[in-house]
Amino acid sequence: MSIIDAIKSKAVRSPWLYRINAGSCNGCDVELATTALIPRYDVERLGCKYCGSPKHADIVLITGPVTSMVKEKVLRVYEEIPDPKVTVAVGVCPISGGVFRGSYSVPIMLDDIIPVDVNVPGCPPRPQAILEGVAMALDIWKTRI
Amino acid sequence: MVLSIFKVLWNNLKQGPSTDPFPFGETFTPARLRGKVAVDPEACVGCGVCATVCAGNAIKHVERGDGSGKDFYVWHNTCTFCGLCQHYCPTDAIRLTNNWSTAHRNEDKYKMKEHEFVAYARCPQCDQAMPNMPHAMLDHIYGAPTEELEAIYKLCPECRRQKAAQQFGAQIHD
Repeated sequence: MSIIDAIKSKAVRSPWLYRINAGSCNGCDVELATTALIPRYDVERLGCKYCGSPKHADIVLITGPVTSMVKEKVLRVYEEIPDPKVTVAVGVCPISGGVFRGSYSVPIMLDDIIPVDVNVPGCPPRPQAILEGVAMALDIWKTRI
Repeated sequence: MVLSIFKVLWNNLKQGPSTDPFPFGETFTPARLRGKVAVDPEACVGCGVCATVCAGNAIKHVERGDGSGKDFYVWHNTCTFCGLCQHYCPTDAIRLTNNWSTAHRNEDKYKMKEHEFVAYARCPQCDQAMPNMPHAMLDHIYGAPTEELEAIYKLCPECRRQKAAQQFGAQIHD
């Protein structure tokens, strides 16, 4: 048991982030790239790192209203992420539909199909707000692992 | 040529890190940053132009059943910080603060709202309820309002008509 605890204490230090674009306008994706790539905001200080494969991910960041066309694909990618995972909705679109709410191709909100943990509203949110959301997601992830 | 890199390094050492200390320290927030919406119920006339122009449909006015006023809701989770409400508000009652801190747990999704009660004013003569008329609105319409306007602007439309007619009649009589 103590070995498992030791591994856990090491593992919580470096969750990997994965980004899903569920029909976003790319505004939030640019902010996510800013958060990660520009030394000014530097999400790697929190131990986080973007990864290219959903199979390596721990925290998943979802942007965009979940359109009818992309819904099945989002679910398929989401299923590939191993448990435990933490979901962060970035921008107003996945949270409530934003300006697209009520549109013919945006029939649902993200938390209707996926258990969302943290919301970061904004159109787009500031990089600092995203960092705040990732820090919240880290706290949740530490309780789940 | 080669030494210039040492100059850059020296300058960087002097400047310190350019990384924003947030979330471990304070961050810089510009004063004009468009963030969460704040409502001043004292200045609001309840005209509803903010709800009409709102791009994300975040603003909702709900009339109270007893006629005492309106409930003013702003849901931050669909607000796009566009600032149209602030631009069109005739009395500057609604404005965007520079508070960008919006991250929250999903349990609080429907608690992320601004709720203010805009009370209706009562006519001092006949006690009838009517939309509040702040002085800012009077300034907005008339620039510098005259004494006569100051005397009647708090009255309900019916009493105002009578009072204005009385004032006008008194002027003619003189």
